[in-house]
Amino acid sequence: MGKTKIKLAKELMEKVKKYAEMAGYSSAEEFITHCLEKEIAKLEESDSEEEVKKKLKGLGYIS
Amino acid sequence: MKGINRRDFIKLGLASGTLMALGGSSELLTKTYGKRETQKKVLILGLDGMDPHLLEVWMKQGKLPAFQRLWRQGDFRRLRTSIPPQSPVAWSNFITGMNPGGHAIFDFVHRDPETYFPEFSGAETLETQKTIRIGNLVLPLSGGEVRLTRKGRAFWQILEDYDIPATVFKMPGNYPPAPTKQRTLSGMGTPDLVGTLNHFNYYTTEFAEINEDIGGGAIHEVYVAENKVEASLPGPVNSFKKDRPESSIDFTVFIDPVNPVAKISIQGKEFILKEGEWSPWIRVQFRMIPTQSANGICMFYLKQVRPEFKLYVSPINIDPAAADLPISTPKSYSEELEKRFGPFFTKGLPADTKALDNNVLDDGEFLQQDDFILQERLEMFEYELQRFDSGLLFYYVSSTDQRQHMFWRHIDKANPLYDPKQAEKYGRTIENIYVEMDRMLAKAMDKIDKDTVLIVMSDHGFSPFRRSFNPNTWLKENGYHGLINEWRQGREDLFMNTDWSKTKAYAYGLNGLYINQKGRESEGIVNPGAEKEALVREIAHKLENFRDPQTGERPVLRAFVATDVYQGSNMDKAPDIIIGYNQGYRVSWSAPLGRIPKEILEDNTEKWSGDHCMAPEVIPGILLVNQEIKAESPALYDLTPTILQVFGIEIPKEMIGKPVFLSSGERNGKNQNKTG
Repeated sequence: MGKTKIKLAKELMEKVKKYAEMAGYSSAEEFITHCLEKEIAKLEESDSEEEVKKKLKGLGYIS
Repeated sequence: MKGINRRDFIKLGLASGTLMALGGSSELLTKTYGKRETQKKVLILGLDGMDPHLLEVWMKQGKLPAFQRLWRQGDFRRLRTSIPPQSPVAWSNFITGMNPGGHAIFDFVHRDPETYFPEFSGAETLETQKTIRIGNLVLPLSGGEVRLTRKGRAFWQILEDYDIPATVFKMPGNYPPAPTKQRTLSGMGTPDLVGTLNHFNYYTTEFAEINEDIGGGAIHEVYVAENKVEASLPGPVNSFKKDRPESSIDFTVFIDPVNPVAKISIQGKEFILKEGEWSPWIRVQFRMIPTQSANGICMFYLKQVRPEFKLYVSPINIDPAAADLPISTPKSYSEELEKRFGPFFTKGLPADTKALDNNVLDDGEFLQQDDFILQERLEMFEYELQRFDSGLLFYYVSSTDQRQHMFWRHIDKANPLYDPKQAEKYGRTIENIYVEMDRMLAKAMDKIDKDTVLIVMSDHGFSPFRRSFNPNTWLKENGYHGLINEWRQGREDLFMNTDWSKTKAYAYGLNGLYINQKGRESEGIVNPGAEKEALVREIAHKLENFRDPQTGERPVLRAFVATDVYQGSNMDKAPDIIIGYNQGYRVSWSAPLGRIPKEILEDNTEKWSGDHCMAPEVIPGILLVNQEIKAESPALYDLTPTILQVFGIEIPKEMIGKPVFLSSGERNGKNQNKTG
């Protein structure tokens, strides 16, 4: 599997390392990957959120 | 191009509950299933939202002679409504003879405790799981499904067991229609073709009117070039395609260079409208893949030609002549009605209150649209009434409810939008619809014989809606609801800014309040059992004692604890507390979908100015019948066993109601006492 390098600010990277260790991740990379996957999943869900909102907002009682 | 068939539409997996659910029969002629010629008959008029106080006032003033005659012949009572008094809950009480603990409809909006996401309570969509991708197309290999979530049996299903025929016209909360061979047409809860509860389209050149974030419709910016407007009508999501794009139909408007007239050309059909004129129903077909399409009907209204161009297109209703979705049982019932009356409104609540609230239609234009609906209802009523000769006929009218929601501001001088000039013009709109219902009742009374029990009922009454309450803001201010960022408060729906680790309670829907319970909610923090019980009582007590600093009144009249007021075995989706608002108060506009505005209370400045999502004692419904009522305080769920009693059917044990009439034995006893 190909890998890509990403640049992070030094201060942020320090925090990432600290919290990755505290949360029990085996590496900072694993922690970052997990965070990104979680955020992307949220974005991918947004279509269904929009669909639900669009459906329910048609109800006269809600705006 | 052929219309998409029912099986394919299931497979298509259109989002948001627009799928087929039933495997109903497809007879050419619709007959009520029951074959028995019953001597006893029951005719029920379901007049949504008819208010007993207004009814009594206008009866006493002699404005409603048929209602008055019925009262003299029989009886009139206030009818206890449901907790909460929302139409899908209330009508489900009537349909099943149970309360929400039995039928499992607790609010218009439920929530998924796993995701904290709202759900439409009436139906659930199970999307197709297996698909195959060929290039840009996604073809389903197994069927999706839409299911009615209401539990328990509908009274017309029980009548069917006894071979008693029934026609049930537009019963709210019955989409998709409960499986039956009786003649039924689905009502409130039936989506438009796009899959929403209302979605209009409005095309305008007026820049100030463009607002993309409105609920219930879309406003499209268009340009007039060489007296021509090119536009597009959005349709259902096309699940056959990889990225699920919205389908659409392009259309062109040719504007007369001199006169306020335009010609609209869409899918080979052309029609001319004058300014201020409505089109008849126009059939539209949204093409999904080369061999398939979805069928809809809509009306165009040319609001203005110059100086700004303004064109309204109604929500796209499911075409009753070729319903891709389950709107009737048998399927041929909607086709039969279409054949006789032409295309008709199939969307659950057909009047476009959203267009009026968003100033797309004005009061007069909204009433024109609702008059079309009312006229259609009255014509179909005469048809059903004439052929009603056995069993039961239930007939529903929505205009009573919708006009009270939208025109209460013209009879309520304390409403923030009250305008004496407008009141002069529209102040009798509500009275007029009661008078229309009186005429309808007179026709029913003229038709029925002595063996027919006539019931006129409503699911709830009405109250002014002047102030709105934000339950989640109240919870936050009282330390029960935590936010991630204070500065983001009020900006997002769906609790996107909620810190669940600091949240003990949250409110979803119009009256529901839930505890963030460990083991039930995915990020619950309150232990079930004693801890939760104490918290529920504490919040309920505090809510009932909260006062509006502006008026000194208590916005929450009653905070019902679910386990105190519901019976039955279907409590999984029940809120923990049901908020019963005081007269004049209701939940705010944005709170039902998980938004947390900064203020606990706000003025209601919407045209939607009458409401009923309050404490049940504030807004009882009506019950008028052509015989004596023995029950002092009858409830909606008492009418279901009453119907069964008329036909001599044993009352199922899960029904919690009691018949409201004297039984034949009781009547005989009473007569003997009189003579003795």
